[in-house]
Amino acid sequence: MRAGILVNSLPAALTIYDELKRVPHCAVLVLLSPAPNGSSGLARHLARLFLRRGGLRSLWLVLGRKVIRFRKPLTHPKTLTRLKGLELDVGLHKTGEIYRQSTIDAFRLGILNPHIGMLPRFRGRNVMEWSVLKGEPVGITVFFIDSNIDTGERIVLSEEIDISDCRSLSEARQRLFNLDAVFFRRAIELLGSEGFEYKLNDGSGHRYYVMSRLFRRAAEKTIMNF
Amino acid sequence: MSEDFIVTALKDRFDELLNTRIAGLAPERFGPASDFVAEAKHHLIEVSPTALSRSFAKMTAPVRWMEGNFDCLASLRRLSLGEPLDLRSGTVPSLSTFLLDVSSSHDPGASFQLLSGRYHCPLNFTLPAEDGVREWVLTRVMVHERALIEKKSVQAIHAEDLLLKLNLVALEACAGSDLRFLDALNYYYELLPSAWHPPGQHDWLLVSYFCLYARALAAWISR
Repeated sequence: MRAGILVNSLPAALTIYDELKRVPHCAVLVLLSPAPNGSSGLARHLARLFLRRGGLRSLWLVLGRKVIRFRKPLTHPKTLTRLKGLELDVGLHKTGEIYRQSTIDAFRLGILNPHIGMLPRFRGRNVMEWSVLKGEPVGITVFFIDSNIDTGERIVLSEEIDISDCRSLSEARQRLFNLDAVFFRRAIELLGSEGFEYKLNDGSGHRYYVMSRLFRRAAEKTIMNF
Repeated sequence: MSEDFIVTALKDRFDELLNTRIAGLAPERFGPASDFVAEAKHHLIEVSPTALSRSFAKMTAPVRWMEGNFDCLASLRRLSLGEPLDLRSGTVPSLSTFLLDVSSSHDPGASFQLLSGRYHCPLNFTLPAEDGVREWVLTRVMVHERALIEKKSVQAIHAEDLLLKLNLVALEACAGSDLRFLDALNYYYELLPSAWHPPGQHDWLLVSYFCLYARALAAWISR
């Protein structure tokens, strides 16, 4: 399996890279693309690396040619040509971008997203908060994205996560976000396993939107009283 | 557990909406609609959620396509004041053509015309078969128009088109059980500047949105 971690900054890729190195026969590259706001200088990335704990070790990624840096956005023809040339099986979403189909198609299987909600019920924004507010299970779903919002049909892995000991929404969110590397690894392992079958994201749920402050406070009180 | 917190939050918002936003409306600023605004204020002063919810319950959401004697905007005014619409069964206009037209139109003025044209009886917006339109409206309001206001300002949007959509969303929030519609109203209550007076001849749509939002809050509180 050949996987590429799609990031806008190097530090964002480190945990995922380390986790994926535990998967036998998995080659991993870090695909560094310009941030949507445009700040993407290599010096800036390296500075961030040095500022982070363990950053020096990770600098070997750069020196070991494990980092592919794209000067143009992921939709640019030059970037797409280069991406296809890497012959990657899977992309791992860790950027702040919504991908176009041409970018998704540059990977043999597609791009995986660790969505912090249970699909197909909860698509869109603030899904963890909505799950809490509605008294429904919180969890992570790793699925292959399409060019719409959380509608990709192929779910690789979906699992409820216990947040009952979290004292705030932000703590619960962070717990879920911190699990992305582990869930990416488990998804890659599943994809390489014999007899693996996708679960279907059948669109039966709803798309949720950014939550109001009023309901956010209600969700916050709910989580404090778990 | 969360239901208690939701109801408590909605009661707080109901009081705030009535006692500050609606009580603070100056009818004379609404020109030809000043009588309507004054009546809306009077209608909602010191009303309880239960009483408001009961008055709206008289306007049962339809189970089939309805027609009335009023156009969309006149109907919204009546609904926001709790007045009946005098409806009869009607012929359902094509949904697929409408969805294609409204979703391919990039002109908010055209969207306003299309929505107000289809929903002469605005309660038809709450029919199960209108699910596709409701989702489209909710996405427009909570993604595109919200982003426009947050990235630029409220002056960047087509006020009448936005407010018509919020009125329709409020009707669904009154009649349905999907919290997303109610929360869109919550969100816009927080997003729109409290001193904002919308431009255009239908500035009163802001007031009918407040009235229908109050009714939606009352409906959820009383459930």
